[in-house]
Amino acid sequence: MKIAVLIKYVPEATASWRFADDRALDRDGVEGRLSELDEYAVEQAIRLAEAGAATEISYLTMGPPRAVDALRKALAMGGDRAVHVVDDALHGTDAAGTAAVLAAALRRIEADLIICGMASTDAEMSVLPVMVAERLQLPAVVNAAVLKVADGSLTVERDTEDATEEVVAPLPALVSVTDRSGEARYPSFKGIVAAKRKPVTTWSLADLEIPADRVGAGGAATEVLAVRPSPPREAGTVITDEGDAAARLADFLAANKLL
Amino acid sequence: MSTVLVLVHHDDGVIRKSSLELLTLARRLGDPAAVVHGDAGDALAEALGRHGVTTVYAIAPPDPESYRPAVEALALAQLAARTAPVAVLITSGPSGTEVAARLAVRLDGGIITDAVQVRAEAGGPVATQSVFAGAWLVEGRVRRGTPVITVRPNAVTPEPAAEPVTPQVERVELAEPVPAAVPRVVARRAKAATGRPELTEATVVVAGGRGVGSAEGFALIERLADELGAAVGASRAATDLTWCPHELQIGQTGKTVAPQLYLAGGISGAIQHRAGMQGSRTIVAINKDPKAPIFQIADFGVVGDVHTVLPALIDEIAKRRG
Amino acid sequence: MALRLILGLLMTAVAFTVAGRRLFMLYRLGRAAQPADPGRTRGGAARLRAELTEVLGQRKLLAWTVPGVAHALAFWGFLVLALTIVEGYGALFQRDFHLPLIGTEPWLGFLEDLFVLATLVSVLIFAGIRVRHSPAREGRRSRFFGSHLDAAWLVLFMIFNVVWSLLLYRGAQINTGNFPFPGGAFASEAVARLIRPLGAGANDVIETAGLLLALGIVLLFLVLVVHSKHLHIFTAVGNVAFGRRPRALGALLPVYSAGRPVDFEDPGEDDTIGRASIEDFTWKGMLDFATCTECGRCQSQCPAWNTGKPLSPKTLIMGLRDHALAAAPYLLAGDKSRVDALATAAAQTPLVGVDGVVHPDVLWSCTTCGACVEQCPVDIEHVDHIVDMRRYQVLMESSFPPEAGVLLRNLEHAGDPWGRGAGARTEWTDGLDFPVRTLDGERLPDDVEYLFWVGCAGAFDDRAQRTTRAVAELLHTAGVSFAVLGGDETCTGDPARRIGHEVLFQQLAAQNVETLNNAGVRRIVATCAHCFNTLANEYPQLGGAYEVLHHTQLLSRLVADGRLVPVTPVDATITYHDPCYLGRHNRVFTPPRELLGSVPGARLTEPARTRETSFCCGAGGARMWMDETIGTRINETRTDELLAGRPDIVAAACPYCVDMLGDGVALRRQQDRVDEHVVVTDVAEVLLRSVREPAGPAAPLTANEPRKAQP
Ligand SMILES: Cc1cc2nc3c(=O)[nH]c(=O)nc-3n(C[C@H](O)[C@H](O)[C@H](O)COP(=O)(O)OP(=O)(O)OC[C@H]3O[C@@H](n4cnc5c(N)ncnc54)[C@H](O)[C@@H]3O)c2cc1C
Ligand SMILES: Cc1cc2nc3c(=O)[nH]c(=O)nc-3n(C[C@H](O)[C@H](O)[C@H](O)COP(=O)(O)OP(=O)(O)OC[C@H]3O[C@@H](n4cnc5c(N)ncnc54)[C@H](O)[C@@H]3O)c2cc1C
Ligand code: SF4
Ligand code: SF4
Repeated sequence: MKIAVLIKYVPEATASWRFADDRALDRDGVEGRLSELDEYAVEQAIRLAEAGAATEISYLTMGPPRAVDALRKALAMGGDRAVHVVDDALHGTDAAGTAAVLAAALRRIEADLIICGMASTDAEMSVLPVMVAERLQLPAVVNAAVLKVADGSLTVERDTEDATEEVVAPLPALVSVTDRSGEARYPSFKGIVAAKRKPVTTWSLADLEIPADRVGAGGAATEVLAVRPSPPREAGTVITDEGDAAARLADFLAANKLL
Repeated sequence: MSTVLVLVHHDDGVIRKSSLELLTLARRLGDPAAVVHGDAGDALAEALGRHGVTTVYAIAPPDPESYRPAVEALALAQLAARTAPVAVLITSGPSGTEVAARLAVRLDGGIITDAVQVRAEAGGPVATQSVFAGAWLVEGRVRRGTPVITVRPNAVTPEPAAEPVTPQVERVELAEPVPAAVPRVVARRAKAATGRPELTEATVVVAGGRGVGSAEGFALIERLADELGAAVGASRAATDLTWCPHELQIGQTGKTVAPQLYLAGGISGAIQHRAGMQGSRTIVAINKDPKAPIFQIADFGVVGDVHTVLPALIDEIAKRRG
Repeated sequence: MALRLILGLLMTAVAFTVAGRRLFMLYRLGRAAQPADPGRTRGGAARLRAELTEVLGQRKLLAWTVPGVAHALAFWGFLVLALTIVEGYGALFQRDFHLPLIGTEPWLGFLEDLFVLATLVSVLIFAGIRVRHSPAREGRRSRFFGSHLDAAWLVLFMIFNVVWSLLLYRGAQINTGNFPFPGGAFASEAVARLIRPLGAGANDVIETAGLLLALGIVLLFLVLVVHSKHLHIFTAVGNVAFGRRPRALGALLPVYSAGRPVDFEDPGEDDTIGRASIEDFTWKGMLDFATCTECGRCQSQCPAWNTGKPLSPKTLIMGLRDHALAAAPYLLAGDKSRVDALATAAAQTPLVGVDGVVHPDVLWSCTTCGACVEQCPVDIEHVDHIVDMRRYQVLMESSFPPEAGVLLRNLEHAGDPWGRGAGARTEWTDGLDFPVRTLDGERLPDDVEYLFWVGCAGAFDDRAQRTTRAVAELLHTAGVSFAVLGGDETCTGDPARRIGHEVLFQQLAAQNVETLNNAGVRRIVATCAHCFNTLANEYPQLGGAYEVLHHTQLLSRLVADGRLVPVTPVDATITYHDPCYLGRHNRVFTPPRELLGSVPGARLTEPARTRETSFCCGAGGARMWMDETIGTRINETRTDELLAGRPDIVAAACPYCVDMLGDGVALRRQQDRVDEHVVVTDVAEVLLRSVREPAGPAAPLTANEPRKAQP
């Protein structure tokens, strides 16, 4: 069984994030990394390979030239090869465009199982896994906490608000995993050195035969009209107990759907 | 006026609050048409009418076992093609997002997720998103295809329509079969009501520190946790004092947790402790020292004594839960 | 006569063959090991000085008076006894042989006898110590716990035999008239008087038999020595000669492979990174293992051992030696398939592992406090070996206590151990009533005297922030101009290096060196003992040479120069805790004490373990970021030691120590085992309290200190 893992290169959580003049996330000015939530996807793929359930792991990312760092990081954790879709025309691509590009790339990679993170840590839309699956006409199971592969099917355990579900889908399929799926390994230096020798293929839009006017800010199905910093987030509310604190606290919890 | 398709969820005819919020927004954009799963009884129709719904589309599921998000996406795609809505509104959340994602691909249009506000504009509905942990606001719109918009729960206050209407109810049969290769839910286990969840996996964590004062004081933390179905955590001070097992320690030399809700009682919030819980979505702190560092990162803080606030809170929650 | 010669030479030949084979094997083992780092022969003068003071002068041994004196007697005794052995061999050939030139001087005879007796005394003292402190009586507290006890007793017995057989033969020699000395040899003469009544014939026999016996015992002793911990009598000289000077503390060495530093950007195909197996140690490592005397001085001071953890620096070194010897036949064999099963099995035992030579709990218990290195009379470099083994575990196996993963990820992604990021680095300046200059990438202006290295704890930890603010305020008061790097500062890399993640250390350090060099920084003051050590001792390895002061050094200068005047009395008993990385590792013992001494009203007390023998707080070696579940907590043990002097204030000079001891005191307070008012604080805060006018703002000492919570 071949696995493809979708990973995204995102800004460091501690960097100061801002939008560039074109209202896209400024990715040049800040340090980037392999999205923390995608590390769980990488981990699951490697565990499947270690368990003998997978024969090959490929990573796929669409992103700026520096996104290759994210691929190298994943390769340092394990896996065999990586594909980087990079093209100047991709700057500003929205979810629909990204899904089209990733689906096109996945058609060439031909994996039996596609593993994604539950969300990116920058835009946090959580839509790409399903959008890609829909384009590829694959079953998709999102938010897996436990993932098993046997006899040509995928079995997933996942938590919903009120229950734990067991979901089964025939392979080929796509699955997204949560941060509860199992701690991601810390790559060793040995792994980092080995990663330098693993092949990373670069594909452009032309390679994927995608017209440039379907992607980028220009080809996007959505447009950003304005960005502005939120009014500085009031430091959390702090109240002093005058006998009513429990009730006010319960109100706060209720208002935030935490009860 | 043009149609706004709204995916409405209900529990035995009682419309969910998040769906009411969608309807409130939808009325600003056009005529809300509700899409519901299964039969729409009279009571439901009437309730929807109170919220300005003119048409109710009741999806007849081909088979009760069918994978629900797939059925909903198919139905919405079919209805969108027929009614050419100005927007499709869906509640954010794992299943809503899944429906929205499938739908957007089928409609070959744009998708906007997790909007906190949607308003009507000449060029189509404009959605506001709150991004980067709330630090920035982004306004955007869909410029190709039918706008599919998911809306964050609790972003708007649900209001009934100024004048109730009597909606038309239409049963919708799927024109297309549900694809064979969809996931199947083979088992569902209601979350165990007893037994505390695993600390690192819990969605709610209640943690106690030195401020609870004694093992008996720590029992208050445990009672609140059980009331909330939460896991119990502790600062190192509390575990060192053997008020609770060492495995419950959260922090730099203990467990790292990132639940939806972290409620700290009698914890000062030393950096070594914060290192293990600062990723929590919502942080609530009860501490009698207004200068305790935990308040710097708390979303809601109570300056007060845990010995009075915790019992009152336990009662309050029990009361609200009925 | 001929018989005695033949027998003597025969014995010698047999013993030399046995001992020689052993020594040759040990030599080959050393040759099979990795080359050492190139610094081992540099600095001849310091090496000579070490030989003179540590070997001849027995400096480190004498730090423990009774066993030290005993050992010095035995050591010098054996040096002099060597002469009697030469005389004995001479006597094989010529019955009345004497050494040339001085060979018949009575004073030499006296000296020889004196040291023969000294050796006897030392044997008796040693035996007494071994009985009194035997593991059977003292259990783990005994420094001999885990040593090879039988071998040690055998050696003592053999020395005893050497002494009496020598005296017997010398006495008989006097009676037969073959003794070289006309007088002076008082002990031999006493024996002579004792055996004279036996008659001339008997004395004749006793002389020959005694000589052969004495030589035989010496030869047997030689064989025993090369097969036991007593090998140190030969190897110690070399081990001291090639040891790190002035001591194997302070900086850690970079990762060397085949004697060359490893380039982590472009590592060689077959670079050895750290120690995966015994043959990855350098010859100096092997020499260390061979030299350990099993004296247990290291063990007696080790914070891990003293709190019930499985790590003892002594048994660690012994274990490595035993393993090296067990695996030696395999390692040295040309045709590995013909090696016996035991040696093969030994060679294939993993170095670190649950079933390995070193259990992971042993490896990860070390705080790198350096107490062992400080104690070791033969200059064994425990910390380096431990870190080298960690390096392999972390870099090649990615194996370490799971909690430490959070530390490593935070360092990598945020540049600090807690994941706060550069943006929060100057939060500590909020509320100061003077501005703090932040470079933010600019060059250091000429009028700025010091770069103030705030450190991660100093920037983010609530307690350490108090120290940072106190130091800033004191510098400001003294009119010392300083600036901070602000968001450009990252962790110095100390925890990364000490956990064994050399690559991450190199990245962080290179980044800091670049920042500091670009800013034109020459003088740095740091409040964290770990930052101080890394900046001062390790950054030169990466091209960053600065004059680095610890804040206690700078502040005590300012007090001495009258730029800071402690006026307000602090009426308190203060116990000072020496942070390992300030004291033992960097020999800064006096400035903090001077500072506390300059505060009117303060009464300084010393804890039982202090200065060179200070007991670790438990945070070094990246232990700060690992859970401590085995045995008792080191910080609690140290807290109790410090509280024994009933202080009002426990003062330290490192944020790790203040956190560790602060936690310890808070725990004891909640347990009602210490008075409410006792606080833990940095020396700087005590000074600040005294420098401020009494009418000034409230003393900062107790702010934020956790109080006892009411049940
Ligand atoms: C603040 C912000 C808001 C945005 N809002 C919108 C919007 O409302 N509508 C819209 O159409 N676009 C939006 N975008 C653009 C959007 O970020 C990109 O189009 C992106 O590709 C969408 O996915 P995501 O990052 O949210 O990924 P998610 O859907 O959250 O990603 C889930 C998983 O998909 C995989 N994945 C995601 N991106 C990639 C990639 N580039 N390469 C490989 N695998 C990947 C990973 O496995 C990831 O874990 C927004 C961008 C920003 C910065
Ligand atoms: C190496 C090292 C590692 C560490 N690792 C961890 C770790 O992993 N996790 C961890 O938690 N800590 C860790 N610590 C300890 C940490 O530094 C703090 O000491 C600890 O978190 C304090 O616990 P606390 O907040 O419960 O206690 P305190 O700091 O004593 O705080 C008690 C709080 O309770 C409040 N309070 C008192 N009475 C009441 C009352 N009746 N009602 C309401 N509030 C009250 C007080 O105002 C105070 O703020 C570590 C320390 C070190 C040195
Ligand atoms: S450095 Fe300290 S903790 Fe480590 S072995 Fe030596 S004495 Fe023990
Ligand atoms: S390592 Fe040094 S101090 Fe420790 S037992 Fe061996 S010789 Fe003694």
